Amino acid sequence: MPSRPLDSASQVDPERLAGYERAPADVKPQLSYEALRDIIDLSLWAGQLLLQHGADTQMVEETIHRLGTALGCNWLDILVSPNALVITAHSGIEFRTKVRRVVSLGVNMAIVTEVSRLRLRVESGELDRVGLRAELKRISESRSHYNRWVVVGMVGLACAAFSRLSGADWPSFSLTFLAAATAMFVRQELNHRQFNLFLVVVVTAFIAGAIACLGIVLQIGAQAQVALASSVLLLVPGVPLINSAEDLIKGHFVTGIVRGVTGGIIALCIALGLVLAMFIFGVSGL
Amino acid sequence: MNAAELLWLLARDAFWSGLAALGFAVLFNVPRGLLPGCVLAGAAGHATRTLLMSAGLSIELSTLFAATLVGVAAQWLSRRTDSPTAIFGVAGAIPMVPGVYAYQTMIGLLGVASATPETGIALLAEAGTYAVKTALILSAIAMGIAAPTLLFQRPRPVN
Repeated sequence: MPSRPLDSASQVDPERLAGYERAPADVKPQLSYEALRDIIDLSLWAGQLLLQHGADTQMVEETIHRLGTALGCNWLDILVSPNALVITAHSGIEFRTKVRRVVSLGVNMAIVTEVSRLRLRVESGELDRVGLRAELKRISESRSHYNRWVVVGMVGLACAAFSRLSGADWPSFSLTFLAAATAMFVRQELNHRQFNLFLVVVVTAFIAGAIACLGIVLQIGAQAQVALASSVLLLVPGVPLINSAEDLIKGHFVTGIVRGVTGGIIALCIALGLVLAMFIFGVSGL
Repeated sequence: MNAAELLWLLARDAFWSGLAALGFAVLFNVPRGLLPGCVLAGAAGHATRTLLMSAGLSIELSTLFAATLVGVAAQWLSRRTDSPTAIFGVAGAIPMVPGVYAYQTMIGLLGVASATPETGIALLAEAGTYAVKTALILSAIAMGIAAPTLLFQRPRPVN
């Protein structure tokens, strides 16, 4: 493929471009050392926030690429791995690569939404590098929209609603609510103390199962099975599994498989906690 | 079942599935302005599934169609509100998660652990049946939600 000649707007000496194969379609002025460093840092930060809080791989790639090109890079190559991001940013004949370790921090759709909205503001020229940095700082320091007790109550209600969908009567409904809300409270406490993700799932499922079993031993409600099954649904790895499917379908196999396996392990942990509770209370579950 | 009964069934169904979607949206810290969209996606998806099942379709096929509807609704809502599609997709999918089937699979498998080969066969068959149902419903959800993206957003490769 013949390389595309750079136009005169670029401040690059054409002599140095000999043999440069991947000259991009629309060439932007060569960025300074600091500008290129800033851009790769900022787009990496945005990508990190997305990957940490439950965005799918395609979205991480697109957001990073569009932020970087809107800020003045010609092209960005992005490698999304389940626990790291690698980005190479190109400007003129210069390029720079940076790797960042990313640890998953649990689903937070508010952060995903805000970061994805930044993209449009940067592309329209409203935000420059300084503005973007301020916004990313604000987003990464933002607190949860919901009071923890609201979350406890709503999650309890959601699981109880599940039990109704599976045909539970009102006593089983109340039992599910109590079990799920208590389990959610325990989960928040454990997460706050930075316990291992899978351990938190086992303990939370155990608490939910234990309360549901207690209700069964005391003969509250007719549908024991439904109450037991519904009260642990707050732990269902919905976001990892849906992201996994999305990634696999779009060809991001590595992240897709890792997310699928993570979801599978979480499901096994739920089963483990539930079984422990049923064993202790001597409930057969059928 | 007459029309009034069916409507009442669907209304109850939409109410409880909307509540389930709302609870999970709060758990995932969805911004307040997007909560109505999440409730809508959850209620529409599960009520559609119930409607199709009451028309005689299997739960797996009904889930596939309902999840496709959720996928389309998620695209539409995300364009209207300028927010990621995933929010509405997840909220719409959550009420359809086959929690009870997954639970029955687990109980069946545990039963096998403490059974003799003769009694174990029935338990194994039961666990297998529910496992297949769980897996099929989960993949129907995934395929359905991804379907609109696959059909309408086909990026051209850059060379």
